[in-house]
Amino acid sequence: MGQKFDRVVVIGYGKATGNILKYIEGQRTAYGYHLEFIEHESHALSITRKICEEMDIPYSFMPDKQELSAYLCGIMEKTLIVSASNNFLFPAACVEKENITIINFHNALLPDYPGRNAPSWVIYQGERETGITWHYVTAGIDEGNIIVQKRCAIGPEDKAYELTERLMDLACEGFEECFAAVLEERAQTTSQGNVSGRRMYRSYEVPGDGFFELSEEPEAIYRLLRSVDYGKNDIFPHMQTVVDGVRAEVVRYRKIVSEKKKVEENVVYLPLSGTHLLKMKYRIL
Amino acid sequence: MEEKVLEILEEYCEEALTYDGDSMMEDGIIDSFTVINIVSELEEEFDIEIDAKYVVAENFKNKEAIIALVERLLEE
Repeated sequence: MGQKFDRVVVIGYGKATGNILKYIEGQRTAYGYHLEFIEHESHALSITRKICEEMDIPYSFMPDKQELSAYLCGIMEKTLIVSASNNFLFPAACVEKENITIINFHNALLPDYPGRNAPSWVIYQGERETGITWHYVTAGIDEGNIIVQKRCAIGPEDKAYELTERLMDLACEGFEECFAAVLEERAQTTSQGNVSGRRMYRSYEVPGDGFFELSEEPEAIYRLLRSVDYGKNDIFPHMQTVVDGVRAEVVRYRKIVSEKKKVEENVVYLPLSGTHLLKMKYRIL
Repeated sequence: MEEKVLEILEEYCEEALTYDGDSMMEDGIIDSFTVINIVSELEEEFDIEIDAKYVVAENFKNKEAIIALVERLLEE
């Protein structure tokens, strides 16, 4: 074991980040590090700031990438950065600093589905299993050695936000399993192998390019709609289609039993398996 | 309307029915994922669209705030 970490910096947002912060704070006395939290993206329902206030954890809001980069690059102590549900890409200058170690939670089983919005892509592609990966951060995106992975099934009705929630719980579980080993620099890792040429999912990419025809297989349409469903978080635009020759966007959808079908304005129904229907409420564009 | 809202809350977050504070999010009664479910059910039940600008902690601080939000949207 080398010199101990003097400082732990957590960057991220959301449920997993909050729980991880609490866990790290709980271990602080045993390891003696200084803990701080940086929020890079603000979310309307975020409670991480409140957690910091309650637990007396130093909190900073740094939405500016350059400011955040400069801040991290300026750290002089031996520091562990925990990146949890974080979309900030660490600059090479920061990753390559000898006094800084960064671990990141990715919401898929690397080396598969690197990049952004992995829960959406696994649903869209019809995968039956996914999971989470904690890995060391290198200059390449989602390329570093794997510390721990956790698996879960993808249900036939799973929406992106539901799967995301399960993955966040798994991320906390995985983190608690590996944190001590990471801190003590004894974590056993696995290489991702040769990752050159693998498909990288970018933030601007949308499953199905954001469009479907009503003539497509209804189960595939349902899968597409579920894959981009993050509730009111506008990660993706509304999916579009053409209804009676007019472009429209789906404002909400659900699977219903056929007895519940009723005549409503701007609603189309498609048959799903068994006695179910896919109900889609649309808005003409 | 109120009764329907309470039915939805009962389904997704029973604790919200007896909660008498003013911040269900911060007090750990509901989380952002539960809010997504509640919003989805409210939209379907009342055939309303709850814009993202309304999905903030203030409008989900307790059951009364949620009922008031639906009331406002139904009046629009």
